[in-house]
Amino acid sequence: MTSFLVVKIKTHDWAKTLLQLNKLDIDINNIKYNPDYLIFTLKEEDLKRVKKYLLSYEITIVDYLGPHKFKKNLRQNSLFIISLIFAFIMFNLLTHVIVKVNIIHESKEIREMLKDELASFGVTPLSFKKSYQEYEDIITKIKERHKDSIEWLEIDVDGMVINIRIEERIINDYPKTTGYCHIIATKSGIITNVLTTKGVALVKPNDYVKKGDILISGEIKLNEEIKNDVCAEGDVYAEVWYDVKTSFPLKYTKKTKTGKMRYNFMAKHYTEEYLILKSRLGQKTTEQKLIFKLFNWEFYLVKEYEIKETNATYTLAEAQERALTSIYQKFKISHPEFKIINEKVLQNNVKNDTLDIDMFIAGEEQIGQSINYNKKVSDNDDGENN
Amino acid sequence: MKIINNLQSFLKDQDYYIDIFKDFLHVYDYLNLTTLTSTLIEIKLKEFNLIIEGDNLVIKSMDKKEILLKGLISSVRFVR
Repeated sequence: MTSFLVVKIKTHDWAKTLLQLNKLDIDINNIKYNPDYLIFTLKEEDLKRVKKYLLSYEITIVDYLGPHKFKKNLRQNSLFIISLIFAFIMFNLLTHVIVKVNIIHESKEIREMLKDELASFGVTPLSFKKSYQEYEDIITKIKERHKDSIEWLEIDVDGMVINIRIEERIINDYPKTTGYCHIIATKSGIITNVLTTKGVALVKPNDYVKKGDILISGEIKLNEEIKNDVCAEGDVYAEVWYDVKTSFPLKYTKKTKTGKMRYNFMAKHYTEEYLILKSRLGQKTTEQKLIFKLFNWEFYLVKEYEIKETNATYTLAEAQERALTSIYQKFKISHPEFKIINEKVLQNNVKNDTLDIDMFIAGEEQIGQSINYNKKVSDNDDGENN
Repeated sequence: MKIINNLQSFLKDQDYYIDIFKDFLHVYDYLNLTTLTSTLIEIKLKEFNLIIEGDNLVIKSMDKKEILLKGLISSVRFVR
C-alpha cells in the first residue's frame, strides 16, 4: 500500500516551485497556498526525489496519511492499545476461570471423593471453565464410576463459582440372617439388661453368666420339645470387669516460654506451609492468626515464642492422676460403649523413675454375640424321611 | 483490477480531454506545465498549447497525466 505524506515547502514563489515539481513528474494533491509556503500531499517514495532536486527548499513533513499514519498512531497509542488488549484478555480470562468449586453435601467423605474426581477431570479452582456438554460428560463418567454412592449429580456454573449438588445413593442393605443361631456371652459377668428381638431369652438381670453361655436361644420350645428354630437376635448387657496395668514415666521435659517473641508471616497452600521471614529463635512454639484467604492460599500472622526445655519430675499424686487420665482415654477408645460403674487402683509401685499402676475397672457392656448352630434332627423327622 | 482498467479505457479512450467547471479546469493527458502565474497558466499538450487566463489561478492537484486548476477563469485558448 502506498503511503502519503503531507509536506510543507517554504517558498515565496509558489509558481516556480510547482513548475519544478511538475518537471520532476511528482504527483501532488490538495495544494494549499500561503504567502510563505506551500502545503501539499505527495507519495512517500517521491519525497526523496523532491529533497534531492529541490535542495534549496526547506521541506518539512506535516502529517502522515495511509498505512504510515496508522502505524504512527499505533506507536503513539501503543500503551493504551496494549492496556486495552491486556484488559480484554484479563476480562476474558477471569470470566472463564473457576475461582471456587463448591460441593454441596453434608458428608465430608462424599465431598472429598467428589473433589478428587473433579480434579481428575480438571475441574479445580483457578482452572478454565468447560462447556455444558463437557460438564454433562463429566457427570456421566463420575456417576458410572460411583454407581453405588451417587444417586444424582448436578454441576451448576454460577459466574466464577461452580456449585456441585449431589444426592447420595442410600442402599438399604440390611444384614440377612441365614440359618439358626444363638446369642452367646463373649465375657463372664452379671446380666444387667436383656433386649430380645427374636428367640427365647435364657437369662435375666442379676444372673451370673460365664463366657460361652447361651443368652438368647434360637430354639423355640414348648414343653421341652423344639417346635421351631430361628436366628436369635437381641442385645444382652452385663456388668463385666477388667484388670488394667500401665506404666507412667515420672521424669519429663518441661517447656517454658522465655518471654522472647517475634512476629512472622506464613502462607499456606493446602497442607504446605511457607514462612515468609527467617525465624531467628531456636526452640519455639507458635500461635497463628488467619489474616486473609486468596483462592487456595491462606495468609497467617504468626507469633513465635522462644521456649526453654528443662528436665522435671512429677510428684506421685500428679503422676497417678495423669496415668489414670491416660488409662481412661485409652479405655474409651478400645471400648467405646463401655459405661464405667466402678474403679479401684489395686497396686501402685515406683520403679526406675516409672510409676506402675494395676487397676480394676467394672462397667456395663453388651456381651451378646450371634453364633450359628445346626438344627437338631428329631426322631419323628427321621421316621418321616425314611 | 481488470474490470476497473477496462472501464477506465472505455471511458477515457481519447488522447486528451479538457473539462471546464465553474472555477475549475481539468486537463487529461498533458505533457507539461510551461507557464504558471496567478493570471496565466500555459499547458503543453500533444498537438497544441492550452492557455488559461483569469484571476487567482492556482493548481489544486497535478500528476503525470492530469492537472486540476482552480481560479476565476476568464478565457481558454488553444495555440498550435
